[in-house]
Amino acid sequence: MQASDLRSRPIIEVKNVRKEYPVGDETVVALKRINLEVMRGEICCIFGTSGSGKSTLLNQLAGMEKPTRGEVCIGGVPISRLTENQLASFRQKHLGFVFQSYNLLPNLTATENVAMPLLFRGVPRQQREAAARKLLTRVGLSHRLDHFPKQMSGGQQQRAGIARAFIARPDVVFADEPTGNLDSKTTVEIMEMICSFARDYHQTIILVTHDPEMASYADRIVTLIDGEIVSNQVNNKERTHHEI
Amino acid sequence: MKRNDLMHMCLQNLLRRKSRTILTVLGVFIGCCSIVIMVSLGIGMKESQDKMLSEMGDLTIITVNAPQGGRGKAKLDEALVRRLKTISGVEAVTPKQSLEVDSVRLMVGTGNRYLAEWSSVVGLDTQAMEQMGYQFLSGAPAAKSGDVVVGQYLAYNFKDTLRPEGMNMVDRWTNAWSEDGSEKELPPPYFDPMQEKLTLEISSESGKFTVPLRVSGVVKEDYSKGSETSEGIMMSLGDLRKLLDKAQGNKKKAVPYDSVLVKVGNISQVAQVEEEIKAMGYSTESMESIRKPMEKEARQKQMMLGGLGAISLFVAALGITNTMIMSISERTREIGIMKALGCYVTDIRVMFLSEAGAIGLIGGVIGCIVSFIASVVINLVSLGPSVENLLPAILGGEGVSRVSVIPPWLLLFAVVFSVFIGLGSGYYPANKAVQIPALEAIKSE
Repeated sequence: MQASDLRSRPIIEVKNVRKEYPVGDETVVALKRINLEVMRGEICCIFGTSGSGKSTLLNQLAGMEKPTRGEVCIGGVPISRLTENQLASFRQKHLGFVFQSYNLLPNLTATENVAMPLLFRGVPRQQREAAARKLLTRVGLSHRLDHFPKQMSGGQQQRAGIARAFIARPDVVFADEPTGNLDSKTTVEIMEMICSFARDYHQTIILVTHDPEMASYADRIVTLIDGEIVSNQVNNKERTHHEI
Repeated sequence: MKRNDLMHMCLQNLLRRKSRTILTVLGVFIGCCSIVIMVSLGIGMKESQDKMLSEMGDLTIITVNAPQGGRGKAKLDEALVRRLKTISGVEAVTPKQSLEVDSVRLMVGTGNRYLAEWSSVVGLDTQAMEQMGYQFLSGAPAAKSGDVVVGQYLAYNFKDTLRPEGMNMVDRWTNAWSEDGSEKELPPPYFDPMQEKLTLEISSESGKFTVPLRVSGVVKEDYSKGSETSEGIMMSLGDLRKLLDKAQGNKKKAVPYDSVLVKVGNISQVAQVEEEIKAMGYSTESMESIRKPMEKEARQKQMMLGGLGAISLFVAALGITNTMIMSISERTREIGIMKALGCYVTDIRVMFLSEAGAIGLIGGVIGCIVSFIASVVINLVSLGPSVENLLPAILGGEGVSRVSVIPPWLLLFAVVFSVFIGLGSGYYPANKAVQIPALEAIKSE
């Protein structure tokens, strides 16, 4: 009951966002006037081919770049207007990332990598590493706790990446082509994992992909072509697909 | 981020690129060594110079004389003594007055066997002697009337009246130096003044009279305080006044002091105190006039040596900057990831600054240890390599002149300076690191 209450309120609001890049003397418009709302607890897929502007949109949503015009609010906070430090502390508390190329730090062990968001928050070492070990066990890496990234397979690295994205219990997790470098069997595992985390903690997932297969995991599919939203529809078939 | 996490991360990053870190540290270490060794040579030079000067006399004594050329208002009197005592930095003041009569003879021994034909007799504030820095070789300052203090070599002024002329004095000048340039042990004088009663014979216009004197102490020769510390007699002003009155007979007149000695607490205050006294209209003398130019020269040499050393440390600083820039361009993606995960900008800055600072610190500490050892080796070579010279080579001491002197402050300074060099050269790279956007994390390879 409460869940449906929360679900009715948008956690991400994108208002009239436009993004231009200077390329040489010309200006390339990557996003034209985007308006979008994402509800709390939703798994939202931003779908598009390469060059459609989906990555640019993700950058605006996650506060990596400032839009040329318009505003992005997460949980009511206008993140496009935060300073660097405000943004850092906002990311610590509310945002998580799963990257396409995993992006684990090569000189840290799996445990240390997963514990990193808590490290930035100033959580004491023992506490944060205990939390990291617990989460790594959940993603099935209990035998890889002290391994370095290069000693792990791609799927294992991405699982550690997922653990890292969720360790601080963020409100929103951004996943940028999270299975882009993985085979199809691992892709299914990874996607199920992301979705199960999101369901457990009622978290919002923004999934960026060009793969229609992956889009099927989402509650809502937003399709982008040439910097414009061409469709924004609720995905009905996903219910049966992953609520196992 | 917690401080110990930052430190842990900093060490981890330094150890990641061991050979590069070691090479950069080596640069700082060489720079630090060259500064410390160079400055220590300068200090050693100055130390032996100071030693030489202080053997010539007390460097903190100022002699105040009546103004040159005619008699002004500025008189050497009790009022002046009181005024001098109030100057800040002045520890003690004593007036000096010499016994000006036709002749002074001293006699010692049974039947006055030993005789000094001439001697300077000076009256001063005997109670202030210790404070003034008179060094007593034996005995103590004169405490009561009739007591005197004599100079170190007074006894050598006496001749033995029972021996033939030409062979009746102990010579302390010829053959005083041995062939290798060191001072030889002096032959003993005929008597020990502490053990004998002196008889002072004064002749003046009003006649001749003798006074018995008891020697209460012997002071070390010190030319900054006057020649009486060598071959004269010092007594209280009161005693001297009585002798003068007696010698002058009926024509009693007030005689001003010959000079006033001022003892300054610290050598660094001498110039200032001297300046102040000069401003009062008196002429002054002190070892300062010799010490100043010598010190200036020594300082110039020290600056030159230190500057040479500093050049290599600055080269090392460039090395640190280079290393940090390299490591930042290697870690661009990492920094982006950390930012994306919510690392504060300040933490990133602190991380890189502390890496650069740590390189400086490690280089500085190793540099200090090595230059300390090098300094001891240099000193051992100059003192002669033997085990008993080891301690003087490290700590110095009375009569040991070291070539290289490393005071504790120099080590501390070198370490702090190295750390600052590290931080300074890490500043630009750290700023570069801070500007790396979180977007770097998302860029695909």
